[in-house]
Amino acid sequence: MLETELAGERVGLLPERALLWPREATLFVADAHFGKDAAFRAHGVPVPAGADGETLAVLDTLVARHDVARIVFLGDFLHARAARTAATLAALAAWRTRHGGLRVLLVRGNHDRHAGDPPPALAIDAVAEPHRLGPFAACHEPADCDGAYALAGHLHPAYVLRGRARQAARLPCFLLGAHCAVLPAFGRFTGTHPVRPAPGERVFVVAGDAVMAVPLSSAA
Amino acid sequence: MNAPEDVATRVEAWLAARGWTAFPFQREVWEHVAHGRSGLLHATTGAGKTYAVWLGALRAFADVAARGAAPLTVLWLTPMRALAADTARALEAPLEALGLVWTVGIRTGDTSGSQRAKQARRLPSALVTTPESLSLLLTREDARERFAGLAMVVVDEWHELLGNKRGVQTQLALARLARWNPRLAVWGLSATLGNLDEALAVLLGGRAGGALVRGRVPKDLVIDALMPATIERFPWGGHMGRNMADAVIAEIETTEGSTLLFTNTRSQAELWYQALLDRRPDWAGTIALHHGSLDRELRDWVELGLKDGSLKAVVCTSSLDLGVDFLPVARVLQLGSPKGVARLMQRAGRSGHAPGRTSRVTCVPTHSFELVEAAAARRAARAQAIESRRPPAKPLDVLVQHLVTIALGGGFLSPELLDEVRATHAYRDLTDTEWQWALAFVVHGGSTLGAYPEYCRVAVEDGGWHTVREAAIARRHRMSVGTIMSDASMELRYLTGGRIGHVEESFVSMLKKGDHFLFAGRVLELVRIHEMTAYVRRAKPGKGVVPRWQGAKMPLSSELAEAVRELLDRARTGDYPEPEVAALAPLFAVQAKWSAIPAADELLVETTRTREGHHFFCFPFGGRHVHIGLAHLFAWRAARERPGSFSMSVNDYGFELLSPEPLDWDAHIAAGLLSPADLDDHVLASLNAGELARRRFREVARIAGLVFQGYPGQPKRTRHLQASSELFFDVFAKYDPGNLLLRQAGLEVLEQELELSRLRAVLARMNGAHLRLVRTARPTPLAFPLMVARIREKFSNEKVADRVARMLAELEAAADA
Repeated sequence: MLETELAGERVGLLPERALLWPREATLFVADAHFGKDAAFRAHGVPVPAGADGETLAVLDTLVARHDVARIVFLGDFLHARAARTAATLAALAAWRTRHGGLRVLLVRGNHDRHAGDPPPALAIDAVAEPHRLGPFAACHEPADCDGAYALAGHLHPAYVLRGRARQAARLPCFLLGAHCAVLPAFGRFTGTHPVRPAPGERVFVVAGDAVMAVPLSSAA
Repeated sequence: MNAPEDVATRVEAWLAARGWTAFPFQREVWEHVAHGRSGLLHATTGAGKTYAVWLGALRAFADVAARGAAPLTVLWLTPMRALAADTARALEAPLEALGLVWTVGIRTGDTSGSQRAKQARRLPSALVTTPESLSLLLTREDARERFAGLAMVVVDEWHELLGNKRGVQTQLALARLARWNPRLAVWGLSATLGNLDEALAVLLGGRAGGALVRGRVPKDLVIDALMPATIERFPWGGHMGRNMADAVIAEIETTEGSTLLFTNTRSQAELWYQALLDRRPDWAGTIALHHGSLDRELRDWVELGLKDGSLKAVVCTSSLDLGVDFLPVARVLQLGSPKGVARLMQRAGRSGHAPGRTSRVTCVPTHSFELVEAAAARRAARAQAIESRRPPAKPLDVLVQHLVTIALGGGFLSPELLDEVRATHAYRDLTDTEWQWALAFVVHGGSTLGAYPEYCRVAVEDGGWHTVREAAIARRHRMSVGTIMSDASMELRYLTGGRIGHVEESFVSMLKKGDHFLFAGRVLELVRIHEMTAYVRRAKPGKGVVPRWQGAKMPLSSELAEAVRELLDRARTGDYPEPEVAALAPLFAVQAKWSAIPAADELLVETTRTREGHHFFCFPFGGRHVHIGLAHLFAWRAARERPGSFSMSVNDYGFELLSPEPLDWDAHIAAGLLSPADLDDHVLASLNAGELARRRFREVARIAGLVFQGYPGQPKRTRHLQASSELFFDVFAKYDPGNLLLRQAGLEVLEQELELSRLRAVLARMNGAHLRLVRTARPTPLAFPLMVARIREKFSNEKVADRVARMLAELEAAADA
């Protein structure tokens, strides 16, 4: 975990691609995209199952390791309408049962609008963006929110580190700006989109089990 | 006027009326076709091949008495849809004079909706199409009826298809057609190849026989070189030999008619075009640029200009290698290394079409070693040491695609289709396990045991009949038929709307708004990017970056490398059998004085120390792909003893390993640095083959139908079904590691990217060679280009020029001392 300060609050950037707000025991998770593999299969694209199980297992680990009372999904919880298969929903329900005491919130994203809200049995409160939480505004799409620091996802940000001999590594990253932080996508079957930080933005890449700050020249 | 054997008589009359006589090889083909035989017609250059098979087909299959147009009888496959129109014109030309009511049609990705509708009612007597469009026709439920009258398939430019997956796709389609009509005649037209017998066998699949016919005996072939005014003793690739631009301009100027200037990459084509215009601004409009990323309309304009002779010169890439019969020119120049003998001969064939004229290609060296390559190419051509094209072995991605194609095109029973697939050369060794896997992959996903839930691409009906039930799957499959891999490319458009061409997404992503770059011979300014389109405006002439296209750099062929080695061996003893090599005497003198010129039975290794560190140079002359493998292998094996990190550089002659610490290379070699033991494992381990396979998977995933590019005009609606091939690779590797497509990607890396078989052969030769290990005081003429190549990877252009200039000055001073 790499600690930093956002909007005057201490937060942790987790290599599992989530953000922890210790004072409120809140875990922020963007772009889980549950059931994405199932949606692909339903449309005739062969993808093995397994990603959702791992995504949920990582959530289990985080809840066990840190003091977490609330999880906020920053949009794109279910991937598509076709993702609502019996197997996907059963896996989610089993996970929810294991963590009955947790409060779970979903800020709806673009995929959720097509996929629909999670079934009531999951006891997930679905709200529209931006959703204020203390000094933060929980969003799906990065935005400037008046008087609040936005936490968002949607972009699936990655940063391309270039080394010698044309070596390049594309790593998921946190993109921290003056008014908004963009989290990497959490789902295990999600792609990334390279971002170019604007002046003043900080980039933290996820490299294996570490989160590292990328030194950016002021010119970049 | 209707005597019984009439088409033949009329053909003779038609030829006579035009003052033509049939060549003996054409009569030979007619004879074969008349007897129902298949075959391969090959020739180094040009004309006559088309009419050899076409008139043969008309003589055999046309009926002069027929009143209505013949049903689909001849299918003419061309690898480039751009050639389809020219081909169709050539096929149509004699029909009227022969009094035949045959129709000729085209069906490619460019064919209009109304044309398609017309063809849906009735196909023409002869259809010119591409392998992709043929596969698409096979997805139609009534495919079999529509091909019922087919008597002959002609595969044009078969050499272009033989060595790749499009060729495999063609083999599968031919097997299908041959099953429907066992008497189907199949004819291939090909350029000269080193493995013509194999080319014929691949074309015909399991069917025996088939005639190999040699086309017109090549005219005299001249391969020469444009001599630079001064010989660099320390050559380096990368400054593109623009000091040769004046000499090139003089050649263009003194040539009556058009000149073709072939380059090896699109970037080089852009740079050369710019270099010529900088020196001769008055040539704007009379010289042109032609490469595969330019918009079709632009290319059509250039091709037209060549045809009517209005263009003085065209700088082009392999994009103009095809269509030999249609665009003859007066003069052909090859800018930079010829890379291969067959390709150079083919390019030479574009010149001297007038009777009695020789075919000639002149190599323009961009650094002095390329003079040796020009001489080597001449010798290899004379000795008929011509490259082969190896057909791919059972690529499962193509098979998976074909299964869905056939499931759509009327459906299939497993045992029958397996027979048919095994009748192709590519899948003749397909195991039952592989077949079952491919079948299971389209039916259940994964393996039969680990069926994927909710998944069904191909459904199995009662009785084992495999079909596609869902319209959406059918539609998506038809959109993605084919094996051509286009890189993630972005369309370039002017703000005003005009299309200019395509560049790779990765290149655009490195640009900022307002950046200038060179494209289509113009300096363009990036204005904005929207979806997959980059909008630009013209910028004032001046500097701009040149796009890099990621196509792999082609290695020097084994045949050419062998000829280079022989020339060096003779230069060692002062024997210069070719003028180009003699011109390099000053370079060889320095090489011999500071180190050695390697003999044919020697392996030259140089070590030296500079401010950069400790250099190890090795010169196996195995081509750049092999050297990439060897460099990683050596570094990995050396690091096993003591961990260290190396910088690397490769070219067609050798490779360099640079380390901050000195290494005892004698000891490493004695300890088995060159050993063939555990070669595959070591190469895999050293190259991070996992990462290479992950990249390779792009093509596999696209062909096997995992990655879907979206429907034209509605990219958004399928967004939620798009994922990158890398993501697919990771998901398969994690949750379905036994997936055979993963294994295929790994094999393709080994055989195609790293050329493992060639690496094995080179390593065996290195082991048998006498090792010549020389410690040099400074980098030698052979070593210098490797150092420059490494520096170029690290620094921007201006910095490279500065550094290279400094290094050159030091070396020249030392050489003169």
